[in-house]
Amino acid sequence: MNEGWLPRLRGIVTVRLRGGAQEELVNDCLKDGLALWSIRRTSPEEMEFAVQVPDFFRLKPYLKRTGCRIHVTRRRGLPFWLRKAAKRKFFAAGIVLFFATMFLLSSLVWTIEVRGTERIKQEDLLAAAKAEGVYPFQWSWKLPEPSLLAAKLSARLPDAAWIGVEKKGTRIIFQVVESKRPDAAKLNSPRHIIASSDAVVTRIIADKGRPVVRVNTKVKKGQTLISGTIGEPPNTATVVADGEVRGLVWHEYAIVSPLSIQTHVYTGESKTKWSVVLFGRALQVSGFGANPFAQSQTQEKLENLGWRGLRLPAGRLKETVMETRVEEKTLTREEAVQAGIERAKADLMSKAGADAVVKEQKILHEKTDNGKVYMKVLLEVDQSIVKEMPLVQMQGE
Amino acid sequence: MDTSMGKLSRRMRKWTADILDLPQDVAYDLPRMIMIGDRQLYIENHRGVIHFSSEQLRLKLSKGELEVNGMDLIIRTIWTEEVFIEGRITSVNLKDGEGKR
Repeated sequence: MNEGWLPRLRGIVTVRLRGGAQEELVNDCLKDGLALWSIRRTSPEEMEFAVQVPDFFRLKPYLKRTGCRIHVTRRRGLPFWLRKAAKRKFFAAGIVLFFATMFLLSSLVWTIEVRGTERIKQEDLLAAAKAEGVYPFQWSWKLPEPSLLAAKLSARLPDAAWIGVEKKGTRIIFQVVESKRPDAAKLNSPRHIIASSDAVVTRIIADKGRPVVRVNTKVKKGQTLISGTIGEPPNTATVVADGEVRGLVWHEYAIVSPLSIQTHVYTGESKTKWSVVLFGRALQVSGFGANPFAQSQTQEKLENLGWRGLRLPAGRLKETVMETRVEEKTLTREEAVQAGIERAKADLMSKAGADAVVKEQKILHEKTDNGKVYMKVLLEVDQSIVKEMPLVQMQGE
Repeated sequence: MDTSMGKLSRRMRKWTADILDLPQDVAYDLPRMIMIGDRQLYIENHRGVIHFSSEQLRLKLSKGELEVNGMDLIIRTIWTEEVFIEGRITSVNLKDGEGKR
């Protein structure tokens, strides 16, 4: 029978009753509030019932009055279990030790996990955490408050914008958000800004350093434009001169431009070849035979089989062989000159930079000979004329 | 308790019980029994055990006696006014004039 936890805690004794007025005993006990249960006759003279241990000790006067004798047949519940445990000392100690060990081990910090670090080294974070008292095999109850710990760690690691501390069982998780920093400025040695070529200055803005020339000054190649030395003679300092200087520069080009140009044009005739492609190898299936055209261009088009964005290693290859023909086109002198100048300008842009502007162009000399136009062109270009010259410090002073 | 009750007070009780529509067991201090088949019997308002064996249980009532016959009878639990019996019950008899419920 299920008695519930309280009687079990107090201990339950099953008692066998012999002789005397047994019903009387039951009635007397009930009247005084002793709880008896599971009362049964085992034989005409004997009765058995269960009683709680505290009530069992109160039975004696009733037994005396009714002339019954008792004999304990069964003991259950915590007090008896404890007595048994006391006999099996090592077993009981083992149980206690097991739970104690379990508790102690689970209150250790076993692992520390760091998430979200890219620039900050994990070792740095772990070292900072160690300094704050968070390291593997530390007792959890010694850990500082997570919010407090997060604030302290943030103070120790200036590169971290935010640090979140979370404790999950025996695991500590640091969630780090790194602060974004501008790239460090490139280190430069002190320098002057000098002219990269002969020019007339059209614009000069010194970000750092002392401008030496003014707008509309004619400068020679190598002349200082922005000086890296600042201050009056006894108290000078050298800086990294920096700024924007633009000037008009003249470029002379000798151009040879043909009066006729050859172009390839399609005749419209074509031939198609098909191939099957498997694992990067093509097997031709149609369009066999030699190339029937004297001059031709081939266009290839590969179509891969795919399924939902997945590329399969199979497909087909279409090759179109198209016949071409050379056509000669005769240019007028003006057209040839224009084409030559365009080419010269394109070359100039690649040399002087994309922000260069052609201000003026002059054809100095022009001659048509052997189907070609020979000419000399002067291009006046507004471009950057900045060149850096490192300042060599006098050593040993 | 009941013996000391006079005729007048008994009539008063009956009248009150009729007016207020009270159950009879409350009004007259009668035993109330709940029986589940032949295996469980729950009795309220008894006045003590007269005899108990595995074949028979006799309980004292406020007036008369209750006799429970059966086989392998066990008193599962017993309190001062209630008793819970298990076993194979064959008959329940009320002695001394009162009718069976």
